[in-house]
Amino acid sequence: MAALIRGLRAGRVLRVAVQAKLSPQCNNVRRGFHRATLLRVADDRKSDTSVPPPSHHEVHTAGESSSTSAQGESADAAAGQGDAQPNTSYQDQSGEHSEDYETEEQLQTRILTAALEFVPQHGWTVEAIAAAAETLGLSAASTGMFNNGAGDLVLHFISQCNAHLTETLAEQHNQVQLGHTEPKETAQFLRDVVEMRLRMLTPYIDTWPQAMSILLLPHNIPDSLKHLSTMVDDIWYYAGDRSTDLNWYTRRAALTGIYNTTELVMVQDSSPDFEDTWAFLNNRIKDVVNIANTAKQVQATGEALVQGFMGAAITLKNLTGMDQRR
Amino acid sequence: MATSIRTLVLRVVGDSTRNIHHVLGSRVKHSFCNAGITVCRGYSDGKSTHFGFETVPEEDKAERVYKVFESVAKKYDVMNDAMSLGIHRLWKDTLLHIMNPQPGLRLLDTAGGTGDISFRFLEYTHSMYDRQQRQRARSNQTPSWQDLAGHYKTDEAAPSQSRAVVYDINKEMLKVGKQKAEKAGIGTGLSWVMGDAEELPFDDDQFDIYTIAFGIRNVTHIEQALQEAFRVLKPGGRFLCLEFSKVSNPLLERLYDTYSFQMIPVLGEVIAGDWKSYQYLVESIRKFPDQETFKEMIEGAGFFCVQYFNLTGGIVAIHSGFKL
Repeated sequence: MAALIRGLRAGRVLRVAVQAKLSPQCNNVRRGFHRATLLRVADDRKSDTSVPPPSHHEVHTAGESSSTSAQGESADAAAGQGDAQPNTSYQDQSGEHSEDYETEEQLQTRILTAALEFVPQHGWTVEAIAAAAETLGLSAASTGMFNNGAGDLVLHFISQCNAHLTETLAEQHNQVQLGHTEPKETAQFLRDVVEMRLRMLTPYIDTWPQAMSILLLPHNIPDSLKHLSTMVDDIWYYAGDRSTDLNWYTRRAALTGIYNTTELVMVQDSSPDFEDTWAFLNNRIKDVVNIANTAKQVQATGEALVQGFMGAAITLKNLTGMDQRR
Repeated sequence: MATSIRTLVLRVVGDSTRNIHHVLGSRVKHSFCNAGITVCRGYSDGKSTHFGFETVPEEDKAERVYKVFESVAKKYDVMNDAMSLGIHRLWKDTLLHIMNPQPGLRLLDTAGGTGDISFRFLEYTHSMYDRQQRQRARSNQTPSWQDLAGHYKTDEAAPSQSRAVVYDINKEMLKVGKQKAEKAGIGTGLSWVMGDAEELPFDDDQFDIYTIAFGIRNVTHIEQALQEAFRVLKPGGRFLCLEFSKVSNPLLERLYDTYSFQMIPVLGEVIAGDWKSYQYLVESIRKFPDQETFKEMIEGAGFFCVQYFNLTGGIVAIHSGFKL
């Protein structure tokens, strides 16, 4: 058994199905893992996927957990099912028992996804993670796996939301390509996308200020900036921006500003269904569009003015006879 | 009086010169010894093991370790402070911070001896519990009648929910620890059990956290102790080991070696009256595997997410693993 474990260590794989001694306390764990195992095996027979990119793995987790967020264990099992799909393709070369295993990262993802349910009660803290670990049948001491503690939880939530957003945008884009729906104009598209992304925060809006402050801690800033910039980049890509000049930067900077300020407004908004926030968002996007239009007009006017001056200068020169060749 | 001091000084000088020869002589044998022992272990259970720089039969090692700690038990804490200049307290505090235990967990403090880790664990969980209660009270401005009633009930029960078991092979060390606990007034949630780390008298899946601070290098079969730790931990439980390890910086290593072999046995003789035990201590540190090797041993026992943290430049390392 020790040799087998050592052999499988190469793939950093977690042994789930077989433990040497079972005991009543472990039954919860067995149930959860076995259910996940059954779902994984069933799912494998249905679909043969090539190695999906990590975003899809997050997407499955996000898709499953958002639809069944009310039910604890089923969400975990479903998330486990979604989690396993990348694993089976990686494990194919190393072991026959690939369906029974999940890696440490997948387990950590499962714990963090489960921890989101405890956030309204405990806030974005290690206690939420501890409570989630206990529902999964693990001891609360397993929170030590997360060296960054609450930061890990917030970053996990953000990447989950962004992955869900990207998936939705890709679907919409497909629909437009296939001709089923009309393409939206840019301002409307941005408005809808930012609203959709911010609505993902509504279940946690009471504790969101705490999450924002965690994201601003110095050791978390690189990660949170990375998530923010990739999200803004994705949004502009699906809005149709293919610019390769200074516009690339100005557009992303503008959208980052809009998103951050709208988020701040949303956090202290008490109107029904955040109407004030969407009105604020509308105004900001209108401002940006105005500025863009104004910039274009200024440029056009400037060109026209320059041409006018050139014409006047040439006329003057002609009138005074300065450019006559003798 | 003059003669006794003279004999003491002569003895000290004599011992230290003997010591230097011993160290220089055994440096060369070091690598061969290590290789020899691991080869032995690989093929058969190995008939001999290391006791400091000595080679002794395996059955004898446990007994000799017992005698060492039996003789130093009374002055153990004083010697710790003197040898490490009080830094061992910081090491143990760091272990607790890395552990970050939630209230209500069960700790098995193996080789706990005088109970340092267990006392810190109980203090930490109690203060965490208090802080959580305060936060709950702050956010809950108008508590309902049910909450108030609940608070009255749980105020006594909850802090004692975190329980620590101090487990040691040595009765003397446990005795000293019990006296310390009485003096400090820590009573609830603490148990004292005597036994061998290679054979824990507990059922499977009992503890949330297993710690072994400065004890695992004294165990004859380290792999067995690791497997026992794996057995008694609950799923999701954490294994933590605080132990002396290899220093990475060569300059610091030289200073550390000089300090270890010249100062520590002398301190042992002066404060505790026991040169040999502290000679064993510094030698056993040198025989213990380095950070990476020990990490692999922990992974071999079945732990996951194994990582180590170097403290004080590698003089001490905290290894952590999870039973998943």
